[in-house]
Amino acid sequence: MMVTNTASKLHTFLTKTTSCAPLAVFRMLFGLLMFVSMIRFWWKGWIHEFFISPKYHFSFYGFEWVQPWGEYTYVLFIIAAGSAGLIALGLWYRSATIIFFLSFTYIELMDKTTYLNHYYFISLISFLMIFLPAHACFGLDARNNKNLNSSGIPAWTTLSIKVMVVILYFYAGLAKLNSDWLLKALPMKIWLPAKNDLPLIGDLFDELWVAYAFSWIGCIYDLSIGFLLSYRPTRVIAFLSVIAFHLLTSLLFPIGMFPYIMIFTAMIFFSEGFHEKQLQRIGKALRFSQSFLSSDHTYRYSKPASRFILTIFTFFFMIQLLLPFRYWLYPGELFWTEEGYRFSWRVMLMEKMGTATFVVKDSSGKVIEVNNSEFLTPQQEKMMATQPDMMLEFAHILRDYFSSRGMENPQVFVDSYVSLNGRIGRPLVKPGVDLSKENESFLPKYWITPFHDEIKGL
Amino acid sequence: MVPVNPGTILILNEMVRTLFKNSIWIFLIVSMTGCLEDSKQSDNISEDGSSDRKEMLTFWAESMILPGYLEFDSHMETLALRANAFAASPNSQNLGSLREAWKNAYLNWQKVEMYEVGPAEKYTLRSFFNIYPADVAGIESNISDPTANLELPGAYARQGFPALDFLINGVGANDQAIIAYYQEQNLGSKRLAYLTKLTIRMDGMLSNVISEWNGAYKEEFINKTGLDIGSSTAGMVNAYVLYYERHVRSGKIGIPSGATIAASGVPNPDKIEAFYSEEISRELAQTAQKSFEDFFNGAAGSKTGPSLKSYLNSLGAKDPSTGKLLSDYINEQFVVIDTRLNQLTPSLYNQILTDNQPMVSLYNEMQKLVRILKVDMTSAMSITITYTDNDGD
Repeated sequence: MMVTNTASKLHTFLTKTTSCAPLAVFRMLFGLLMFVSMIRFWWKGWIHEFFISPKYHFSFYGFEWVQPWGEYTYVLFIIAAGSAGLIALGLWYRSATIIFFLSFTYIELMDKTTYLNHYYFISLISFLMIFLPAHACFGLDARNNKNLNSSGIPAWTTLSIKVMVVILYFYAGLAKLNSDWLLKALPMKIWLPAKNDLPLIGDLFDELWVAYAFSWIGCIYDLSIGFLLSYRPTRVIAFLSVIAFHLLTSLLFPIGMFPYIMIFTAMIFFSEGFHEKQLQRIGKALRFSQSFLSSDHTYRYSKPASRFILTIFTFFFMIQLLLPFRYWLYPGELFWTEEGYRFSWRVMLMEKMGTATFVVKDSSGKVIEVNNSEFLTPQQEKMMATQPDMMLEFAHILRDYFSSRGMENPQVFVDSYVSLNGRIGRPLVKPGVDLSKENESFLPKYWITPFHDEIKGL
Repeated sequence: MVPVNPGTILILNEMVRTLFKNSIWIFLIVSMTGCLEDSKQSDNISEDGSSDRKEMLTFWAESMILPGYLEFDSHMETLALRANAFAASPNSQNLGSLREAWKNAYLNWQKVEMYEVGPAEKYTLRSFFNIYPADVAGIESNISDPTANLELPGAYARQGFPALDFLINGVGANDQAIIAYYQEQNLGSKRLAYLTKLTIRMDGMLSNVISEWNGAYKEEFINKTGLDIGSSTAGMVNAYVLYYERHVRSGKIGIPSGATIAASGVPNPDKIEAFYSEEISRELAQTAQKSFEDFFNGAAGSKTGPSLKSYLNSLGAKDPSTGKLLSDYINEQFVVIDTRLNQLTPSLYNQILTDNQPMVSLYNEMQKLVRILKVDMTSAMSITITYTDNDGD
């Protein structure tokens, strides 16, 4: 009985349909925002600054083959921007999403020091979108192909985007359940007074209770907002708080496009009726034919296709649920070692700063102190100085550089000093360890010093 | 008329309705905020002191930087006058008073060298005042060519206090020989001309810096209250830490003692500050160290004002695991450094030759301080260190 019951529930879930409008609106906003993001990145000179001018790049383990294309990196951005534009238009949608996912993810993987959680989020969303029928209405594909044009789509397709958003927020909230964040208001207590010269509200940032309020409200917000957006009676107030929260954070912290991406993404939680009305209005303004705007067709996947996609999605979401907890497999304090820190929605969680002085010795006893700025950009150096995996990679860059210059068997040591959430600085890497002999892997790095304090919680 | 999208009205309608539905909650939240507001007097982040950066910047400008420059300027004027007097009659009495003026000016320079922000940064005052060791061959070539360009980086070590040190202490084995150097038939007058040229040039540069501080720059400095790149606090902290790292730690102690990794243990005693009057080299370092500490603590003569220390305290900057104030860590390290510095012989040259180990230990303690300032202090203040390492050490 149980089995049939579950099976029939699953069947109902999978065959349930919903309006195409929310996903189509999401597609257009997503495509447009990504297009703007790419142009903004270019306009700010960041393509050159981050991907062309640095002499060396920090790679993700296993993705060392992903390197910038020199001057042709601009082409990569044109491809990403162009495919984002196509996504917005709903033209050649399937190819456009594949190309966008690949080009955007490639860009993201080119240099680890530019890693941002919201880039990762965009990669994930664009991956999901490859399989979703977001082009089934209100796009050029749907206009060109009457058989595609649909008003209904399987409900689980839109749901998958919402689930991803809920995971992002909820896990960002879980990551805040730690003693530094909740009991010591760190790092808010450090960051907020930096803005105490803002007009009107500046004085508030000197107040301890404000740092605590930011910490606690931020945590509660992250944990609950996904569900409040999903639940109809709380939806509007939740959306207003999304706007308020993200605009406030964008005022206080340099987080670029992220607030806008999250505000627009949250609109997918609005009712079908809301989105349909928007599309009708825009459609009428653009003089689209009524037959195009209201098709009676419902988009359905073929059986093998839906089985294939659902299998992929099941794995995808299982990974999403488990990956942030991989840090449990490592000894030591996550914030200190950062083993398993990325790809886990840990956003603005800690104030970490450091310096790392590298020393190269050869077999004859000759010692060279490395001037980091000869090899790295200030941004790369700053990121490297607090993250052990990047220190290791830099040590390898130095080893290879000095051997190519004829140094025999260069040994590389780092004298590091890192402060975490106001704790007085300590070495992050054991000083006597020759990093030229250590290899990158997913195994725990024994050469990271133990954290001298305890941060309780997740 | 601006056409209003009916969709916007629809969403606004829905929002307003929900707002009213949820008005009880809003009322509760607002009244809670009100309660919290009442308790704000007692629950400041601050331990003591004010986190008002404008107050700190004002105190720096009006009570530390400008008075520091003015005092230094009076010594520079005396130095220029005495150089003129010596040039007029190069005798041993005039040489003695010139040396005295040079020493006083040099000691006073140690009190203002760290203020390389704004005008001093624009004119790169330090590069023209205190790059050592002096370039002796360059000085001699400049003497024979009065049109030589002193603005180029290659000319830094041919001017300033180190060049004057050579000219009044290093050109002869004793006073007689030095005076003879200036009475020499062919080059004597050219040598004297170079000596006065250098002092006049220094005095003029300093006057430019002071007049800019007295002009528009002071307001600009005080009003850039942010902490981003380009703000006064971030600029001053960068200049302050850079000064200590390169010009106190490395310049005065690390390079001459060979304690820096780059020197790999080979001492260079001839690279000490004031090489030709080595007996004041420790005093110069002590003066610099003391001024550096006074700036941190906001000690301006007899009064104490808003400072890095009081600002850090106002932020509640302390190690969350030990509860100890960051400013205490810093002041304790000051004491360690002072103690080691005071144990050195007055001539750092002799110290290096007879027993270099205390120099190396002092360097290591200074390095600890650099890290606390560069990492812990900037992290607590949300300031980014924007200067990059160079090959200076």
